[in-house]
This record gives sequence, C-alpha cells and structure tokens, in this order.
Amino acid sequence: MQYEKSSKESLALIGLILAQSICALFFLSDVATDAYWMGWSAFGGSWHLTVEALATLALIMGIIVEARYLMQMLRRQSRIERGISIASGALHELMEEMFTDWKLTPAEQDVAGFTLKGYSIAEIAQMRGSRDGTIKAQLNAIYRKAGVENRGQLVSLLIEDLMRAPLIKRETAV
Amino acid sequence: MQTVKVWDLFVRLFHWSLVVTFTLEALVLDEDSNLHEQVGYFVLALIGARIIWGLVGTKYARFSSFKPSIPAAIGQLGDMATQRETAHMGHSPLGALMIYNLLVSIALIGFTGWLMTTNMFWGSDGIEELHEGLVIWAGASVGVHIVAVIFESRRSHVNLAKAMVTGYKTLPKQDRN
Repeated sequence: MQYEKSSKESLALIGLILAQSICALFFLSDVATDAYWMGWSAFGGSWHLTVEALATLALIMGIIVEARYLMQMLRRQSRIERGISIASGALHELMEEMFTDWKLTPAEQDVAGFTLKGYSIAEIAQMRGSRDGTIKAQLNAIYRKAGVENRGQLVSLLIEDLMRAPLIKRETAV
Repeated sequence: MQTVKVWDLFVRLFHWSLVVTFTLEALVLDEDSNLHEQVGYFVLALIGARIIWGLVGTKYARFSSFKPSIPAAIGQLGDMATQRETAHMGHSPLGALMIYNLLVSIALIGFTGWLMTTNMFWGSDGIEELHEGLVIWAGASVGVHIVAVIFESRRSHVNLAKAMVTGYKTLPKQDRN
C-alpha cells in the first residue's frame, strides 16, 4: 500500500535526520570547545577551525532542508491516511498540484483535503481539534484563493482536472 | 473547556527538582567538588524514584500510559505538519520519547560519574569524555524539549509549562485522548 511505503520512507528520513543531528551536535560542541580554549581569534589564525565551522554549518543546513521535506511528506501522508479509493494516488497528486498553485498554507491544505472528501465543517473541526469558526475562516480563505464561491465549485474544479488527466497512472497503480 | 488534573505532586516535584539539579551540575557547581558528587547521587535517587513511580504511581505518571510508539509519534509529527490543533491528555507520543531519552541519558550521566570515583576507572579519560558527551547530549535534548513545549503549547492551545506547575491541563474541547 502507498501509505505503508510512505510511512517507511518518512521513518528512514527521521532516522537520517536524527543521525545527522547527533553528528552536528558532536561537531558543534567540538568547534565550541576549540574556540573556547583557543579564543575566538583562532578562527583567523587557523583554517582548520574555520573550515570545520563551515562544514558544521552546511550539515545543519542540510538537516533543515531534510526536516522541511519530512514535513511535506508527513502532510501528504496525513491526507492519504483517510483516502481509501483506488484512485487516491492520482487524485492526491492532482489535489496537491492545485493546492500548491493556490498557495494554500499547510493548515488550509489539510482543511481543503477534508472538504473535497465531503467532510462537514463540524467533522473537520473535530479531526483538527479546532473550533468551527476557525475552519469556516480557513474555508473562506481557500475559496478566495481558488477563485470559487462554495464547496460545490471547489469540487467541480477537481473533477474538471480529473477528467482531463488519466485517473490511474500505469507506473503508480496501486 | 475542560480542566483535568494530569500531573500529581510527585511528577511535578520530580520535574522541577531535576531542572534545578541538572542546571546546577552542568553549569554551576565545580565538577571536581564534593558537592557535585553528592548532588549527582541525589539525581540518581530522583531517577530511581521516578522509575518506581512509573510502575505504581497515578494514571498519567505510569509508563503504561505513555508507552513509546513510533507510529503515534509520526502521527503527532503529521499533526504538526498539517497545523492541526489536536491536544493530548497525558504525555504526547513525542513527549514520551523525550522523557525516556532524558531518563536514560541522565541515568547514564550519573552512572559514568560514579564510575569515575571507582578505583577501576579513576582518572580514566574515556569515561570522563563519555560523561561529558552525555551531558552535551542531555543539554541539547533539554533545549529541544523546551522549544517543543513552546511549539506544542501554541499549536494545541494548552499551556503545557503551566500544567507542569499546577498539575492541571485546560483542554479547549472534551473529546481528546
């Protein structure tokens, strides 16, 4: 199943992030102790310390990029979690594209996903642990960004795209 | 709105005693002093008491109420990624992992510290480096813990730090787990 596969992928990514964080922590404390004992002037005197510090910085930046990618993956995963239709793979890809086009925030993407699946405002509020009013405000923002008036029009946008694209791609068929 | 007593007096006393003693040991006390050793044994006693309380204590203090679970932790990460506002009654899955991490690493700090006083390892550089490395690890974990508490308090609209002082969590809605 797609869900299990992506779950394994995110687990591997979490493992990688953890391992790299431990390395970063090690190098960072090493640089800090060296700088502490040799004084900050050591950065000018020896290339070694400067290069080490820059390498550590690069490692940390890599971790940040990975963390952002992980968040993206988890977002996708939490949406697929409740999709059970055979077409969910292709459908989700389309939804994702539309959401990116409209520049929806992560929260709005989540709400839009639930809305397209037909959940009511009260049900979405329940699942997201927020108030009905919050969901209504987020829905309004989604409609505004998508350029539609209501849920019906939002769904028809998706259907329209869906009829143009093949429902199930050969290589990603579940 | 629903206010629930989650942390008993022991859990809160344990938490804040650990905060004070860990800070003292890592940042304030002279590491070669007698006091550093004494406080270290006190921390080990604290951890021991917490483990016993985790077996016989009140509902949310028991380990059985916050078993380590990777799927649940990933679920919570998903909630964070999608900016859902779901709250947890007791320890959250990620919070639980942090607790086990801190309990184990602080216990190991105490253990390696004690080893340094034994005849076998007295003056051993390896054990000392391990001791200090573990302190850096635990210190970084504490940093992550604090940032996570602030982030999760904002996301779930439950003031987690306040709950660790008063013992009560105020949850916005009723049906949470």
